[in-house]
Amino acid sequence: MVNHMALTDLPVFQALKSKMQWHQTRQVVLAENIANADTPHYEAKELKDYSFSDHIGRQEFGISTKTTASGHITGTLSADGNGVEQKKDMFEVTPNGNNVVLEEQMMKVTENQMDFQAATSLYTKSLGLIRTALSKT
Amino acid sequence: MDLIKSLFVSASGLKAQNGRMRIIAENVANADSTGRTPQDDPYRRKVPSFTSHFDKAVGAEVVELGRVSEDTSPFNTIYEPGHPAADEEGYVQTPNVNTLIETVDMREAQRSYEANLNVIEATRRMVQKTIDILRA
Repeated sequence: MVNHMALTDLPVFQALKSKMQWHQTRQVVLAENIANADTPHYEAKELKDYSFSDHIGRQEFGISTKTTASGHITGTLSADGNGVEQKKDMFEVTPNGNNVVLEEQMMKVTENQMDFQAATSLYTKSLGLIRTALSKT
Repeated sequence: MDLIKSLFVSASGLKAQNGRMRIIAENVANADSTGRTPQDDPYRRKVPSFTSHFDKAVGAEVVELGRVSEDTSPFNTIYEPGHPAADEEGYVQTPNVNTLIETVDMREAQRSYEANLNVIEATRRMVQKTIDILRA
């Protein structure tokens, strides 16, 4: 089955988008922990580790050119079985111990920020690849 | 967007620590506030507390300054017979504020405030990186 798709539906973009959303959700959880670092009975929370297979379901798709006039050639490009699509962003929040260690949380924030930057850089690079493919020279 | 949520949560943390600093400042400023007459109680140390609750508008668990309670520990006394608030034996009741404890609490508030600021900074950079995708 061939679906028409937008550029950002490419597997690499889907995967990175899902990862970036995970990092965003994690940032909220870490911000909650740090904001509540002095709240009695507050238990530190953490997201379930990210794994692409948890959030992404395989789906076949491809691209095909449209014929708007007779004489146009039809071309199809399919990515059989390699396509991945995000199902739903449900990240599990698991209780982790019973206290907030500020230093540990700060480390996690930094880590989260760096991983997020890695994902956005990859996204940018992938866009660059597409741009190279589309450019004449 | 989730990152904006994160900013709200951190901002609630800043606000809560801010309120705590206000209470600490009150305690330190009133560390020597005695009563005017022997019957008057001196200043009683205030103790801030935090509560976390789920903010529906933000969609995340935020923190806020809860009820400010009073420290029930006994007052200190000093011997100063000439003081207007001195009792028959010459003792004056002074506030149950220990500036050393207040200083330590202040440091803790400061650290927590900085931690929240750092999260805001980290979140800001993440937002910036997302916007940078557009520029690429």
